[in-house]
Amino acid sequence: MNFLAPLFALGALAVVGPILFHLIRRTTKEQTPFSTLMFLQPTPPRVTRRSRLENPWLLLLRCLAVALLALGFARPFFKSELPGAAKAVGAGRRVVILVDASASMRREELWDEARAKADEVLRKTTPADEVALLAFDGTVRTLVSFDEWKTLPPDDRAPSAAQRLDALAPGWAATHLDAALIHAAELLEQPSKAELKPAEIVVISDLQEGATLDALQGYGWPKMVTVKLEPVRAQHAENASVSWVSESDESETPSEDAPLRLRVTNAAESKREQFPVRWSQTTDASAEVAAYVPAGQSRIVRAPKQPERATSLTLSGDDTAFDNTAFVLPPPPVKVPLLFIGEDADDDTHASLYYLRRAFPKTRRQSVEVSAHRAATSVPAFQLQQAQLLVLGENSADAPLASARQFARDGRIVIAPLTSGASAQAVARLLEMPQFSATEAAVKDYALLAQIDFQHPVFAAFADPRFSDFTKIHFWKWRRFDAAALPGAKILARFDSGDPAIVQVPLGKGSVVIFASSWRPSDSQLALSSKFVPLLQALLDQSSNAPAQKAQYFVGDEVPLPADPAELQVRKPDGTEVVAAAGAKFAGTDQPGIYAVTPGTRRFVVNLAPDESRTTPLPLARFTALGVPLPSAATEAHPPSPEQLAQRQAAELEGQQKLWRRLIIGALGVLLLETLIAGKLSRTVRSSTTATA
Amino acid sequence: MSIRNLELRARTVVEGFWHGLHRSPYHGFSVEFSEYRPYAPGDDPRYLDWKLVGRTDRYFIKKFEDETNLRAYLLTDTSRSMSFGSRGVTKLDYARTLAATLAYFLAQQGDATGLLTFDETVREYLPARHRPGHLRHLMLALERPAEGRSTDLAAPLRRVAELVRKRGLVVLISDLLAPAEALAAPLALLTAARHEVIVLQVLDPAELTFDFADPARFVDVETGRDLFIDPALARKNYSAQFDAHLAAIRATCQQLGITHLQLTTTQPLELALFDFLKARSARGKLVRRRVAA
Repeated sequence: MNFLAPLFALGALAVVGPILFHLIRRTTKEQTPFSTLMFLQPTPPRVTRRSRLENPWLLLLRCLAVALLALGFARPFFKSELPGAAKAVGAGRRVVILVDASASMRREELWDEARAKADEVLRKTTPADEVALLAFDGTVRTLVSFDEWKTLPPDDRAPSAAQRLDALAPGWAATHLDAALIHAAELLEQPSKAELKPAEIVVISDLQEGATLDALQGYGWPKMVTVKLEPVRAQHAENASVSWVSESDESETPSEDAPLRLRVTNAAESKREQFPVRWSQTTDASAEVAAYVPAGQSRIVRAPKQPERATSLTLSGDDTAFDNTAFVLPPPPVKVPLLFIGEDADDDTHASLYYLRRAFPKTRRQSVEVSAHRAATSVPAFQLQQAQLLVLGENSADAPLASARQFARDGRIVIAPLTSGASAQAVARLLEMPQFSATEAAVKDYALLAQIDFQHPVFAAFADPRFSDFTKIHFWKWRRFDAAALPGAKILARFDSGDPAIVQVPLGKGSVVIFASSWRPSDSQLALSSKFVPLLQALLDQSSNAPAQKAQYFVGDEVPLPADPAELQVRKPDGTEVVAAAGAKFAGTDQPGIYAVTPGTRRFVVNLAPDESRTTPLPLARFTALGVPLPSAATEAHPPSPEQLAQRQAAELEGQQKLWRRLIIGALGVLLLETLIAGKLSRTVRSSTTATA
Repeated sequence: MSIRNLELRARTVVEGFWHGLHRSPYHGFSVEFSEYRPYAPGDDPRYLDWKLVGRTDRYFIKKFEDETNLRAYLLTDTSRSMSFGSRGVTKLDYARTLAATLAYFLAQQGDATGLLTFDETVREYLPARHRPGHLRHLMLALERPAEGRSTDLAAPLRRVAELVRKRGLVVLISDLLAPAEALAAPLALLTAARHEVIVLQVLDPAELTFDFADPARFVDVETGRDLFIDPALARKNYSAQFDAHLAAIRATCQQLGITHLQLTTTQPLELALFDFLKARSARGKLVRRRVAA
């Protein structure tokens, strides 16, 4: 048994107290009257002889209580239970070196400095140490793993690791410090208790404010792991950045007219407030705008009119250049052809086409062009191929119907509103189901939509209770048909009478959506309701089946690619070409700039993540607040001596075993027993003295 | 001692004593022996036994009954030291009961009994009388609570010597916890007045053995002085001193021809009475023998 505070054991000497008190005969305060003191001399209280110890059991209990207390305060522990502690001191450490290779490391000499620090850490390793070298930005890359380190000859380990680091250069990605730290901590998870080694994570980074740390909140760090921060600091703290604020898709202003908006951010340490922003690749004075941004704030400024062929804006006037360029590529509006087969006149306000033309406003993202095919001939092949959605009107002839059938079979959607009982014939011919028919339903006042399938993509946008109220749409006329007769038909909505209102019938790769009524004013209020536009847009989206495109991406983002053709090539801003599978997501966005996809004209823009521009160093308190096990300042300044280490281990063992608790409880128990016995004894003594008196 | 009334207590003791006496082999010793004394000039001729003169022509004085009557003085110590009692009965209780018993006993015999209670001064004094009601007064006087602090034996004895001119019996009931030397002179005064003196020394068992168990502060009930005493240590010394004191008293008594009886409060009163009478009878014999010689 060992003691953490052996000096407290000296307290055990206090057992002399009880022994002495037992030896000294009790001096009572009771007075005994006596007839005369003529024959008496005063006797001093004296120590009785050993053989006359009173109440030896009581004495034993008192001594035991004192001894237990002294022992408890001495904080005893058993050293034998220390697993592998002796090994831990001499058996080397496990070190993970995390080198920041994010965009902010491009500043000044930061990368060289980081490499030098990494070299220093590598040089300080002993052959017993295990080291892994990782680089991180948005992702974590292993440069040297533990296994690799072990296989290398001890003399060659540090140089080869440094060599691999030299081959690396900081990229353009954001700093995900939390992910990197967690990855490193997982690497350091001890495989078993027997090999308990002190583990250390050395972070060599500029520790910028924009680094993400959120995932560290509440993270359970493995034991024995400490995180050592090796910050590299830039000389100039001033930094301003520019980023493009891409417009929301719903903006009604046509893209050619809308001015571009830029966000200019200035660091809190900045002393300058004025930053000119100009289009690159031009010398035109009108292509420049001055942004006035106070330190620590950000402002939205309107970019000057975009000159021809200019794709990027550059901010000047600050010390750090890596985040001073924003690439801008306003997406060209997509032309979406929509085909209407029917005889409706363009200006007939009672017909379907009139409302269809007005249902799709022109936005920055798309402009829907509705073309009507009124002839009884079949639709031209190119027109059919380009069209994204097809709507059937009244009195369609066989040839256009055949084109529509082909259109659906190719994987698109044909909308077929039943404007009358006769129009069911057209649907029957479209679906090639002659038995399909519809009858005019008898409506008392009006019908309402009920039982809407909000799970379906067409109605998914209305699933929120704020938008799911369809009761304002009254139907005066509708046609009853037997949906069960249609194979594979899916009822998207029913009328309040329980009859199907909107039914989707699969046809080939695509489908036909049958409306039991129509949006003509004589049939219903659908065209006037707020649900009409989103409903048709949902049908259009489902029909065209195109992936959603963002205006801009950030470095590290995955970009969805078009579904065809099968083989695609992505041309990066630096000119390299990458082959990508169609329909897959392109993950190689490792630099800012304009990416081009071939074949086709598609281009997308990738910019630097805005957080990366926040280069103010993180305060150390942030890491402490997140529970990152940082070594204390004292241990950093003076590495602990072996005695201190042993003392620390002893303290840890003692903390685990907590023998002092049992000892104190034991002492309390003994004192309780002592109180009981003493109480009983004093009672018997008192009763005996009263008996003799 | 469980009977509260002193008179009743005394009567109980004496009657029990009488009953026991009838069965005892010493019966008759208590009857006063009447005797003839040769006439000496100066004797009252009234006491001449004329019948004897007529028969034998010799002159003898016949003693009258009343002349043989005893004048007994019970000197009872009521000082504070007497109030000590370790076995439930204080020495004072015992002494009072003893005095009452003797008084009752003597009254039964028709002897005149007087009482003198004292501590540092004389508290009560009743002259020796034999008349109805006297015994009751005596009992009441005995029952008065003790107030005294210390004991001064010399003063009461001197006072008795002054008051009692006629020869009589003086019974001193006390614990005699005073220096023995101070006792000698007053007792000598009494014996010089030809009084018959009997000293009944009443002691508590604890005073004899000092059998206290625990060390404690011992307080002198008379002076209030206290001392820390460890009985185990002090016992030996105490016994030696106490024995020396007793021996000194005994020696003084013997020197003066005084009967000294030591009584402990645990001793039955009948036995005390018996001892008293035995001592008296022995003394009577002694006196007679002395007279005869």
